[in-house]
Amino acid sequence: MSPEAGVVSIETLLEGVSAVPSLPLFHARLDEAINHPRSSIADIAKIISEDQGLTARILKLANSPLFGYYSRIDTITQAVTIIGVQQVRDLALAISVMGLFEGIPEDLMTMELFWKHSIACGLTARILATSQRESNLERFFVAGILHDIGRLVMFINIPDLCREMLEMSRNEGRLLHEVERERLGFDHGDVGGVLLQRWKIPTRVAEPVEYHHRSMQAGQYPREACILHLADIISHALEFGASGEACVPTLDSRAWDRLALSPNLFPSLVREIDNQFAETASILQGA
Amino acid sequence: MIPSETVERLMAIVPIDNLSAGMLLKSDVCDRSGRMLLPAGGELTDRHLKIFRTWGVLEADIADGDNIETAQILAGVDVDPVRLAAAEEAVKRLFRLNDREHPAIKELMRLCIARKVSHES
Repeated sequence: MSPEAGVVSIETLLEGVSAVPSLPLFHARLDEAINHPRSSIADIAKIISEDQGLTARILKLANSPLFGYYSRIDTITQAVTIIGVQQVRDLALAISVMGLFEGIPEDLMTMELFWKHSIACGLTARILATSQRESNLERFFVAGILHDIGRLVMFINIPDLCREMLEMSRNEGRLLHEVERERLGFDHGDVGGVLLQRWKIPTRVAEPVEYHHRSMQAGQYPREACILHLADIISHALEFGASGEACVPTLDSRAWDRLALSPNLFPSLVREIDNQFAETASILQGA
Repeated sequence: MIPSETVERLMAIVPIDNLSAGMLLKSDVCDRSGRMLLPAGGELTDRHLKIFRTWGVLEADIADGDNIETAQILAGVDVDPVRLAAAEEAVKRLFRLNDREHPAIKELMRLCIARKVSHES
């Protein structure tokens, strides 16, 4: 047992001195409207439209090759009608979380690279899910974008320890998430999972995030966790952005078997990721 | 260990990008929901290949498929051996904590090498 185990807990991380950002109140209102039996699409669209920056990005995404709709989507009402309420909500979540984290020490992580990796993972998970004919694709996209969010919490609250763990993984040629688990008793996936629960993000997104490095242990959404696990590996392999991990995380062959995919899926998958990445990243990261 | 017979069977499954007109099908080609598109014994034409792509077919079981070089990294493209070696080296380093014999990792590495070489050209 290392000295840190027990001293640093997920709870202390989330209630740390440097406060972890909270989700904009907007999302609570949006959820309330979505879950209210008598709210209409117009009500939901009205709440989203109040945030102009968010509205613009959702519309840009809806008109990008990500969706590939033939006709233009010009209003949030159309977007909600065509893409779906849950989907637009998930997109809104992905977009607003990306602006929340500030004050990460530059030597640990540049936010631009961090989100590049996350966007690539979200895209990959989404394309993988498409090929498997999963429904509600945006939950995969959001889960991918949020999958390493626990690491940001750790960078903010225990920067020195993170620096030590990064060095340790580099020097010993090991995976950072394994070093985290050894030193702390949990990894960034767990931290992300707890944070998302606190933000009241649905389990269908929070659980895969929590288990993306040990997808075989996910209880409710094992398939989603396995897809996220594979998407993380592929986005590392394609070297989009950075997560802190120096090489491609180890593929769990049981997760691969569970997904029952053919490796021959990869050529078209990689082509699609390359086709969609630049535009999606510029919409999500653009000023 | 996978018995050698299984390996041979796996080898006959040819990815869509390596299929070409004139090849003979060893077994039925079905789309993702299992609907048959072309029966065993049929000879592929360019139109079939187009239909396969439309319906998301990833691979086909080809008679004599094991004679087709599936391991080629960049078909028909001249690659500078020095650059190829450098790309291979970098990708191997990137995957050092993975089982390079795993079929998924193997294919992913092959694609990463090809992508690196073509991106840098």
